[in-house]
Amino acid sequence: MFEGPLQRLIDELARLPGVGRKSAQRMAFHLLGVEREDALRLSSAIVDMRDQLRICSRCYNVTASEECTICRDSKRDQTVVCVVERAQDIAVIERTQEFRGRYHVLGGAISPIGGIGPSQLRIAELGKRIEDEGIMELILATNPTVEGDVTAMYIAREMKPRGVRVTRLAMGLPVGGDLDYADELTLGRALAGRSEL
Amino acid sequence: MAIRSDQGIVLRSYPFGEADRVVVLLSPNRGKIRTVAKGVRRTKSRFGGRLEPFTHVDLVVYEGRQLDTITQATVIETFARVRLDLERVMAAGTMVEAVDAVAQENENSHRLFLLLLRGLKALDHGGGGRDLVSAFLLKLAGVVGVAPALSRCAACGREEGLDRFSFASGGAVCVNCRPEGAVRLRSGLTSYLASLAAADLSFLPPSDPALSGEAMGVARRFVEYHLDRRLGSLAVLDG
Repeated sequence: MFEGPLQRLIDELARLPGVGRKSAQRMAFHLLGVEREDALRLSSAIVDMRDQLRICSRCYNVTASEECTICRDSKRDQTVVCVVERAQDIAVIERTQEFRGRYHVLGGAISPIGGIGPSQLRIAELGKRIEDEGIMELILATNPTVEGDVTAMYIAREMKPRGVRVTRLAMGLPVGGDLDYADELTLGRALAGRSEL
Repeated sequence: MAIRSDQGIVLRSYPFGEADRVVVLLSPNRGKIRTVAKGVRRTKSRFGGRLEPFTHVDLVVYEGRQLDTITQATVIETFARVRLDLERVMAAGTMVEAVDAVAQENENSHRLFLLLLRGLKALDHGGGGRDLVSAFLLKLAGVVGVAPALSRCAACGREEGLDRFSFASGGAVCVNCRPEGAVRLRSGLTSYLASLAAADLSFLPPSDPALSGEAMGVARRFVEYHLDRRLGSLAVLDG
């Protein structure tokens, strides 16, 4: 529909998640108007990320070196490991500034229907870390879905016999929410996991 | 486009768009229904845990061109205890998976719905183990019209000597028939299976540890054979 190079960019942008034809067109026409150096910065950012990033050899976070910055930070508590489904989840937990330990990325959750069993996740690797690194506590931060629950229960069953403390993120009411709108399942778990003041 | 109210048990759901999910339910009147729950993946969604698998909910849906959108969801029963331990979640997962495989859209599914409801109730009340899964699968086969023959030979109708089982012939077979592929069953297993198939899910006959493992193996293979589909939830626990 458009001249060759422009159409090529629109086609590429439209392949990104959540970007439709119209948005791709708008982005492409915006980029048409930017300075050459700005365009280069964008293109090299994409290529550099692709070339330089790899998976942390310890926790499977994304990193630009052998180990990620969190694993290399000697000030962090090395005896506590927070287990998450995806690398994106690390950023969410880091933003709370409440956690000073290390992480372990599973690469998903057990999903019988999706055909993902425990052997496809990095659970054996977690077991090895417990033995090698002297980990005392695992904090399971999988999603509060059936898949996340199953994964957490499976890990607890496998790791507890190794003498490590296994905990799960508390489940309950969202801050700023209204009790009136809480659903039974969430409120039930909030009651079960209530804490003393 | 109209607003309609319905009820159902959540079978599964999968992410859709930015923060939505497609929720697949079994409704007694309409069979398998696919609905969109907008924004459920957000922590502060008004649906919260109401549309989690195994939940029995009352719904108000807005009928769309392709998918219906859920506008209200009220819990009838959460079966929260089903999610407390791995064995029970996997048993519930197996039930839901098998129902998902046989349920059809736009088809009256009262019997299937009641079967699932009773299965989840029995699990929630702590009953269970392998016998519950076996009994559920045998009953499910009955609901969809492929109940295994357990009291007489599937090939000749004889009532004695039923110590073999043929998945292809559809049940227990006697010594004389022995079709190709029939497997030999441990003594007493045929009548054990028959008692499970006839039992009330909440009042199962006393479990026999020597037979319950094999009984589940037979029930599972029978259903898998006739659905032409593997039940993944059971496989997860095997590793």
